[in-house]
Amino acid sequence: MNNRFNFIRSTGQLLLCSALVLLLHSCHDSFDFELPEANSKLDTVLPSADFSYISNADDFTLVEFTNLSFESTQYQWDFGGGNTSTEVDPSFKFSGEGTFPVTLTATDANGASDQVMIEVVVENIFVAITPSIVNGDFEDGQNDWKFSSFTDGTTSPFNSSSDGSWLDYDGADTGAKTGGAKWTMSTSAEDYVSSNTRYAYQALVVSPNTEYVLEYEYAIKNDGTQAPGDNRIVGGIIDGHFEDGKDAIVSFNAEPLLKFVGDMDLGKGVFTTVEAKFTSNATGEVAILIYGVTDVDAYVDNVKVYPAE
Amino acid sequence: MKYIQYILLAGILSSFLACEDEFLNPLPDSAIVVDAFFQSDDDVLAGIIGVYDAIQGVNENTNTSLISSNRGIQFEYMLSEMRSDNTRTATLEGTKADFHRYRVDPDNVQSEDYYQSMYDIIFRANNILNFINVADESNQSLYAAEAKFLRAFAYFKLVRLFGDVPLVTRVVGAQENEDLFTRVPAEQIYDQIVADLEEAVDNLEAGSKSRASKAAAQGLLAKVFLTRESPNYSGAQQLCEAIVNSGAFSLQENFRDVFYEELNDEIIFAVQYELGNTLESQSFSSEFTATFRQGREDGHNMVNDNLIAEFDAIGGNRTAESYWFTGTWYEVTKFLPEGSDITTTPPTYGPSPRDAGNDWIVLRYADVLLMHAEAILAGGTETASSAAIDSYMAVRERAGFDSIADRPALLTKDALLAERRVELAFENHRFYDLLRFGVADAVLGAHAAEMGYSSYSARKLLLPIPAREINLSGGLLNQNPGY
Repeated sequence: MNNRFNFIRSTGQLLLCSALVLLLHSCHDSFDFELPEANSKLDTVLPSADFSYISNADDFTLVEFTNLSFESTQYQWDFGGGNTSTEVDPSFKFSGEGTFPVTLTATDANGASDQVMIEVVVENIFVAITPSIVNGDFEDGQNDWKFSSFTDGTTSPFNSSSDGSWLDYDGADTGAKTGGAKWTMSTSAEDYVSSNTRYAYQALVVSPNTEYVLEYEYAIKNDGTQAPGDNRIVGGIIDGHFEDGKDAIVSFNAEPLLKFVGDMDLGKGVFTTVEAKFTSNATGEVAILIYGVTDVDAYVDNVKVYPAE
Repeated sequence: MKYIQYILLAGILSSFLACEDEFLNPLPDSAIVVDAFFQSDDDVLAGIIGVYDAIQGVNENTNTSLISSNRGIQFEYMLSEMRSDNTRTATLEGTKADFHRYRVDPDNVQSEDYYQSMYDIIFRANNILNFINVADESNQSLYAAEAKFLRAFAYFKLVRLFGDVPLVTRVVGAQENEDLFTRVPAEQIYDQIVADLEEAVDNLEAGSKSRASKAAAQGLLAKVFLTRESPNYSGAQQLCEAIVNSGAFSLQENFRDVFYEELNDEIIFAVQYELGNTLESQSFSSEFTATFRQGREDGHNMVNDNLIAEFDAIGGNRTAESYWFTGTWYEVTKFLPEGSDITTTPPTYGPSPRDAGNDWIVLRYADVLLMHAEAILAGGTETASSAAIDSYMAVRERAGFDSIADRPALLTKDALLAERRVELAFENHRFYDLLRFGVADAVLGAHAAEMGYSSYSARKLLLPIPAREINLSGGLLNQNPGY
């Protein structure tokens, strides 16, 4: 029995011993991990910074940023020139067109961070409105070219004529004259201004602050006397829309957006094409004005307005 | 029978074990086990047909479960068309009404189903490639090309909707987490898509419209080339010209016939459905109704006002064939169930609108012509190329526009995008077009502002990675920003 007891005791001691060793060993093992807190795990998912941007629809220099960063909570934006932000999705107004490096640093709560630099391209990519000119080929007589009213004057815009350009509105040569607008000495403006003076007027809406082209064809007879300062057709753009022709002429004489004087008198039926550039105003509300100052008959046709290239 | 209780006990225990296995270890959506051992050429072919089955998806009226039903492409209109400025839902009920408002949650059932369906396609395709040696040697390259076309099809959808996703190109086990859950940069996924499609172009044959063909691979590859961050415009142009020059396809004279003459000359690749067959039919035709409700769920793809304005401006004779006004809603008419008659009051929708047979058109000739113009435009804002304008005008002339009077001297990017919008409306192109043209944020941001969808930000251009996948990934998958 004694022997047997000893055997059990020694086995027991052995077991106890090995258990202790195992226990100590495993304790040693688990203490070896660098765990900051119980049950916490090492963060293996680190931040990655990214963003997209888009120009504001009304002001292309105002760029709106969208944060596309992964696994992060704090953001530091650097727009250059000492301008920064800590917003998630900031907006920033750049000085103008150009390429600007913008840096975003995305940081998580452990302090891990990632940085991205993207060259932000600020450019005006907006597409200008192409206004449609109504009755630009004068095939429809005086329609759509009249002022609503004209204090001390006439709303009649020109004489309708069948001696317009040989070209259709889309530029095709028809082989015959098309309808046009005509001015004579009695309907002339400036030096000959009277209550009979006729002005062709059409209000347009174009894109604000944008470069446009006013295009038209004109012809002046070459068989008579010259008006003071040469026989001429004046085409231009008025800054604004006007009910009363009188106000429009005052505005045009004071500060037109465009005034083009054409004095090529090559004869009836020999048209010269004018392509004159202008920059629209801040409202985009502008108007075409065309008139003649001429001793002899002068003709206008195919009036167009379109964005400059 | 004295051991009956033990047998019963064993049975009960093992059923517990099985249950436990399924509930506690659900397979990730992106996983499939090798569940079919192909033994013959016929088996491999049957496997390929099985991939089309995965694309086709299960009709919601046949299996109404919201979870893991593999709707295939039947839900795609929610993830793409309704997330564009084209359409919305009639009511704001349920997760299907989250898409058009840019409020999709990571646990959105439809979005997850779509993600899972695309991986189902990918894994079935990988499975075929795994057993390709079983097929007759003469068929191996053809079968491999078809499987790769289908894999590319699914990845191309995934990468545009979800961004970086796990790239799995071989059969992997359910425990191979590194492969299943490591998000791979989109550009790397595109490399795989291009490699797969180039092999498909080289080895597929002409002919089929309801299965992959050479032209389908060329068309899809052209779109991939146009979509990539560094587009391959000349490559896309050549592929489109190859399709045009093959002479195998032409525009239908009548726009309506594109949708109601199945597999017509204009179709390059379509997913087929069969009317009245619960296993081979689709639910979306009925879901596009609202006023005279036909679907189990419906009121989807209601047409937005600014699309109607676009149709009024440049729709031509397509307008009448694309949607109609019921008196209450503007509803899609490109996929009316067979037997429908909307000229009667009330309209009728045929014998089984919920088991509709209208095919889903993946690629058609008009799309290729417009891609041809897009490739020549090459990212510019306009082109005077007569080849580009010819392709553009071919589509417009069919819509009733005049070949001379309506022909522009310059084709602008904006005009091309607008043309694609009306020509391909409700065919799930708009969202991808906006991304590809680089104007998604601008257009959809303005659209969201106009409609009062305050959840919108550029982050919502990507859908969330399904929460279920993230949970299963053991920390490997991360979520897209903004979710």
